[in-house]
Amino acid sequence: MTWNAPPGPTRRTLLRGGLAGAAALGLAGCGSPLAAGIAGTPLNPDTVTFWNLFGGGDGARLQGMLDVYREQNGPGSLTSATFAWGNPYYTKVSLATLGNKPPDVAVAHSTRATILAQAGLLEPITDELLALGGFSSSDFTTSVFDAGKVGDVAYTIPLDTHPYVLFFNSDVCGQAGLLDGDGKLVQIVGQQAFEDALTAIAGVTGGAAWAASNVGDTSGSWRLFQTLYWQMDGATDFLGDDGQQLTVNEDLAIATMEFIGGLAAKGLLTPTVDYAGAGTQLFTGKVGFQTQGEWEITTAQSIEGLTFGMAPIPQVFDVPAAQADSHTFIIPKMERTDEQRQLAMGFVKSMLDQSLSWAEGGHVPAYIPTLESPEFAALEPQADYAAAAEIAKYDPPGWYSGSGSNFENVVGSQIGLVQQQLASPQEAMAAIKSQLNTYLDTPSPVA
Amino acid sequence: MATATTGVSAAAPQARDTSRDAAQKRPSGRAFNVVAGIVLGVFAVIWLIPSLFALKASLSSNGDAALGAGTVISNLSPTLGSYSTLLASGDIWDWYLSSFLTAGVTTVLAVLFASMAGYALSKLRFPGRRLVFAAMLLGIMVPPQVLVVPIFQMLDGMGLLNTYWAVIFPQVPTVIAVFVFKQFFDGLPKEFDEAARIDGAGYWKIYRQIVMPLSGPIIAAMAIITFVGTWNNLILPLFVVSNPELMTIPVGLATVQGSFGQRYADIQASAILGALPLIILYMVFQRRIIEGVAGSGLKG
Amino acid sequence: MSAPTLPRQSSAASSAPPRTEKTSALKAEGRAGWLFVAPFALFYLLWLVGPTLYMLVTSFFNTSLVRPGLGSFAGLANYREMLTRPEFWDALWHTLYFTILTTIPLVVLSFVFAVLANRVRRGKWFFRLAFFLPYVLPSATISLIWVYIFTPDTGLWPAAQTLFGFDATAILADPATAMIGIAIATVWWTLGFNFVLYLAGLQDIPRELYEAAAVDGATPWQQIRFLTIPLLSRTTTLVVLLQIIASLKIFDQVYLMTQGGPGISTQVVLTLVANTGFTDNRIGAASAASVLLFVVIIAIAVGRQLIERRQERRAA
Repeated sequence: MTWNAPPGPTRRTLLRGGLAGAAALGLAGCGSPLAAGIAGTPLNPDTVTFWNLFGGGDGARLQGMLDVYREQNGPGSLTSATFAWGNPYYTKVSLATLGNKPPDVAVAHSTRATILAQAGLLEPITDELLALGGFSSSDFTTSVFDAGKVGDVAYTIPLDTHPYVLFFNSDVCGQAGLLDGDGKLVQIVGQQAFEDALTAIAGVTGGAAWAASNVGDTSGSWRLFQTLYWQMDGATDFLGDDGQQLTVNEDLAIATMEFIGGLAAKGLLTPTVDYAGAGTQLFTGKVGFQTQGEWEITTAQSIEGLTFGMAPIPQVFDVPAAQADSHTFIIPKMERTDEQRQLAMGFVKSMLDQSLSWAEGGHVPAYIPTLESPEFAALEPQADYAAAAEIAKYDPPGWYSGSGSNFENVVGSQIGLVQQQLASPQEAMAAIKSQLNTYLDTPSPVA
Repeated sequence: MATATTGVSAAAPQARDTSRDAAQKRPSGRAFNVVAGIVLGVFAVIWLIPSLFALKASLSSNGDAALGAGTVISNLSPTLGSYSTLLASGDIWDWYLSSFLTAGVTTVLAVLFASMAGYALSKLRFPGRRLVFAAMLLGIMVPPQVLVVPIFQMLDGMGLLNTYWAVIFPQVPTVIAVFVFKQFFDGLPKEFDEAARIDGAGYWKIYRQIVMPLSGPIIAAMAIITFVGTWNNLILPLFVVSNPELMTIPVGLATVQGSFGQRYADIQASAILGALPLIILYMVFQRRIIEGVAGSGLKG
Repeated sequence: MSAPTLPRQSSAASSAPPRTEKTSALKAEGRAGWLFVAPFALFYLLWLVGPTLYMLVTSFFNTSLVRPGLGSFAGLANYREMLTRPEFWDALWHTLYFTILTTIPLVVLSFVFAVLANRVRRGKWFFRLAFFLPYVLPSATISLIWVYIFTPDTGLWPAAQTLFGFDATAILADPATAMIGIAIATVWWTLGFNFVLYLAGLQDIPRELYEAAAVDGATPWQQIRFLTIPLLSRTTTLVVLLQIIASLKIFDQVYLMTQGGPGISTQVVLTLVANTGFTDNRIGAASAASVLLFVVIIAIAVGRQLIERRQERRAA
């Protein structure tokens, strides 16, 4: 019996041929990614690659600023990508750096940048590096610049500080008698005064007086807690020893939660509302106050017919304080030529020069030339709460802490439950301690 | 697949004909069929709704899509705006390239290696064959997703992160395919390759020019299943490839917000574009895919 | 000289070849065998066996993502952490909850649909398309579609709820219902696969059996109860076991639709593993959690083999 080879190309050869054809097409059209994907060559070596986590209003504003850079330097000069805010973004940045293909410049919160720095993933920001962009460390607000240091080495180039602030509906608050002659909020100092103000507002709205989002917004709940907690005399950092110790003043923490839960129980504070809903309640006059990050100013400004104002969170207890974090630029570690460093710093300089645009989005500039400029002083209502940046309280140190971190999720969840009246302050504190135990007992993976 | 049972009743006596027809035509039997058709039809429509809704939304403007379901449904002027934005912006082409390349190369390698191994296990006697077979059996039970962390570490150590190889290599060893091929080759009559052996042909020639050409349907089924599985894999490329330019479609859809924000129509359009090659593949290879699925109860 | 005890070649070679030729032919076959197996074996060892061993090893160390080497020895500390950490048990529970939420509807609905489809004379292609098409879509696509459908207030789901007189809910934003939302999307996505399996199983049942039963006076319900279900028991077992194992490995939909939230109410084991390993940078702890999940999955897979073998023996 003999056998005959079948005629014609086999399926495999067809497949191989098709693939080669596709690859050739790709090579013609895409160049760089193909080479990078196959041979690991650098991606986009002649352009600035920039990653950020700005969505929503901030995202739109940023795109405007990036377009200005592109106009000045050519359309192919910049590649930018936006990722989901929080852990997904930071995981991407660190994994990309480990895989040797990080972006040239990336945005990072101060509180997360230091952790990335400890992990050895960032390039130090030296005076020489800053000089490449034409600026120096003295151009930045000292406290913000120092917040990005690990030891004596700086790892961040600050862009802004974004504190947790108070938004108020002018109509409602006016009717409640809380506005002065200029339409600004009167000074409210002390617990009694604050509750009186809320009661007055509730009288006008017929419902709650103050909306603070606590559904699907653990960071928001954390910010509320951190702000009120640090307004109390004797408050200590929640975590100490770089996240190995629980150093929170438990009595004050529970008192803070009791205050929050109490207001919710009295109907003055919304018990259950999500991020977008809290804003809507303020815009439609269902509440007079909303506490949120200042970046929501863009949303508020887009509502037709709304008159609103902003102010630092009133000093309810002993000292003024407000939770805040800062956005900064970081340079992930990679083999770079001096030319690439120059390009990267040029990009950062362009962004800093546009700090005023960024400030229009509600943020308080950390770039002194902008901060002290008359244009910024003239910005309303930014000028009203710029002072909040000076009483800023950052998240406690810890490898699992920082904006959008597991720490914020753990504590924020419980605060949210207290506000929802689903947990007592004692239960919440116990849950927080139990959930943080794992992290407290674990040696830092970035130490 | 059990086809033997049908032979048993094939010889049913013709005398039953009239009563069989009567049984089918009995009111309860027919009514049930009609009801079955209607009920199933309702569910089938329900099952089609999400895809159709997404399609409709993708053909709306971003503003309309944000206004809500009612607007999307009642809108009568479809627009290709979202699709043109996405196709012009460039990212999705990189993702297509990455997906086609990785899925294609993985499929070629996986099918090639699995069929070779299946052939060896089926037709060739070699020392340690039992051991290899047992090792494969164990391998079937290993869930690849669970290994994403150590695989990442190994790719890191080899310097392969952020390359197409990081997505390709870990997906090449598909143990089930080896068994499917082996089972199929077991069914091939021995005479073919024995005759070739007598004629002095080498094993590779036998494999390439006899065994493989006879295995058309199996190769097709395995190739399609591997291609689809690789294309749709999320967890592996999600962590081993971090650059938007190198991402596969699922990862790109999942992580890059672009300047999307509330641009719902764009998001739905991107979801559909990401699935388009697979939808086309399904339309063309429908029967093969269904056969493959039904015949082997694979995936999981 | 006695003949060497070589395994007999099955081909009808009439003249016994000299010993050296036979052994070298065997050796050639042996070598060919290894060469054919080699490429697969290489990838198998490197990318399946290797990572499994590496995972086992690192689970006993404090390996960090960003530090080279294995890190300090941790003994059983990682395992102790996972087994005493409420978040791990929550993740296990959520995984189990998801398994229950999806397996039951998937088995029941696909069975019902397949039985109905089998009764329908024409148009089977339409039903197959309607139910199987979602299965071809990538998880990212279906997640984006369903997140959009579940959009609070304006999505299709709240719209349908109000249409039928229910209160509109933000299903993915509420810790109590978020997993249900994910389950709904999953059932929609994967039903087609089970539907096809059942349909194939049904089509293997000869029509004559039904007709004989009908002649004997059995109603359609009785036919289903006493014929269809028992005859499909093997398919059902397969479907259930496949579903359980697939559900244990769930990652995509959770990551894409809720990121494990709200809070950690939809966190499952694999998202916890990914979080611990890639976000917290703790490879050692992530490996320990992976090993624990691995053990559970293997136990069930082994169970499946045993059940299948028993069924085969019974059917024989």
